[in-house]
Amino acid sequence: MKRLSIIFAAVSLLSFKVQPKIFTTNTGMINFRSEAPLELINAESKELKGAVDADKRTFAFRIRIRSFEGFNSPLQKEHFNENYMESVKIPEALFSGKIIEDVDLTIPGVYTIRAKGILNIHGVPRERIIKSDVEVKNGMIKIKSNFTVLLSDHNIPIPRVVKEKLANEIKVELTADLVRK
Amino acid sequence: MIKKTGLFIFSVMMVLAVKAQEIDLDKMLEEEQKKEQKNKVQFTEATFKTTRIIHGHSIENTAPGILDLKISHRFGQINGGLYEFFGLDNASMRWGFDYGLSPKLTIGFGRSTYQKQYDLFFKYKILRQSTGKVNMPVSLSLMSTAMVQTLKWTNPTAPNKFSSRLYYAYQLLLARKFSENTSLQLMPVMVHYNLVPKATDPNDIIALGIGGRQKISKRVSINFEYYYQLPEYKFDATTNSLSIGFDIETGGHVFQLHFTNSPGMTERIFVSETYGRWDKGDILFGFNVSRVFSFKKRKK
Repeated sequence: MKRLSIIFAAVSLLSFKVQPKIFTTNTGMINFRSEAPLELINAESKELKGAVDADKRTFAFRIRIRSFEGFNSPLQKEHFNENYMESVKIPEALFSGKIIEDVDLTIPGVYTIRAKGILNIHGVPRERIIKSDVEVKNGMIKIKSNFTVLLSDHNIPIPRVVKEKLANEIKVELTADLVRK
Repeated sequence: MIKKTGLFIFSVMMVLAVKAQEIDLDKMLEEEQKKEQKNKVQFTEATFKTTRIIHGHSIENTAPGILDLKISHRFGQINGGLYEFFGLDNASMRWGFDYGLSPKLTIGFGRSTYQKQYDLFFKYKILRQSTGKVNMPVSLSLMSTAMVQTLKWTNPTAPNKFSSRLYYAYQLLLARKFSENTSLQLMPVMVHYNLVPKATDPNDIIALGIGGRQKISKRVSINFEYYYQLPEYKFDATTNSLSIGFDIETGGHVFQLHFTNSPGMTERIFVSETYGRWDKGDILFGFNVSRVFSFKKRKK
């Protein structure tokens, strides 16, 4: 009996200790912008899903391509999905990896970190190091990041007819507030 | 005794510790995404590239706030030979505007040079093909149009009635997107004539249309369209409209190039007044151009 209670105590102590510190969001925001000589294109999604493991400093983000809204016309959104992103074949974009700096995201503060991982857009993975500003406050991890995506990096060709209307360099802005799961 | 217990506790702890480490963030998000999608309705989009298959309507509506300028040409018959420059010397044309009032309702207005005819239509989406929470295998729309020809009376002194200038068409469009590349549509149609060519002619022409598109590249598709008139409900000597063409999509335009035996771009002409025969070479070349203008206020 005594043996059993010791085992029980040890197990419960252990389960307390290995509770993973995972922060998540389902409503992160991604905004992208194409600035070409003849046209400006802007689109945004508020359905970014993200998770960060504060212990292991790993992260994963994914977003449904069809959730982007904005564009200059519904026809442009249709072209974005059908001709460029082929979102029926590749419905999501992903980014997952590990934070380089040895920060403790459970301690409130403001940090500038580099997220190193694989960015997979249009089914083409690329290793990227993306700098982000992280603010830990009130048990929330707030991430803000600005980076560039090259369409040529992810096998998205720009037809000659629209060369002046679509930039190869796409400016991306990400904002996500993650809370403890 | 104590050593054995200690070892046991230690191994249990290790097993639990190892199990606890296996949270794959990626997998976790993927599962959540799948669950969310199952609870949402995924509407099928872009069954056809534009709101016409060739002559007739497709189940596509014009998006709300969007004005779609349509310019259509049908040239003369190719078997007119070099003198007629293979039909290019004769052109029948229609210009029109389609406007999206709401996601389900499109209205339109146009004018054809053929008998100086004006037309007005509305197209209402009844069912949308979808997967996910609601599984709907087809899209269904109702299209109704009124056409009025405005030629001067051939005999001004005869008891001419305005109603003789009017034609109506009622059509159901039933379509299914079978894959990213293949869509098919059935369209039963009735065209009503107040004034018919011969006293023995029916006032209502009834036909079953079938049309489809097959994408052959990201921006190009092959389209076909055929209207079979019920033998009891057609005018004498008319033939069934058969058309085949290409859709080419570039930026804000969709170009539709085709060969057909029908000279007209409104239901009254192509459904019930086609006289051309493919086997005799009474084939015309034609095209539709579509240019989209947005009237939606852009959200900053």
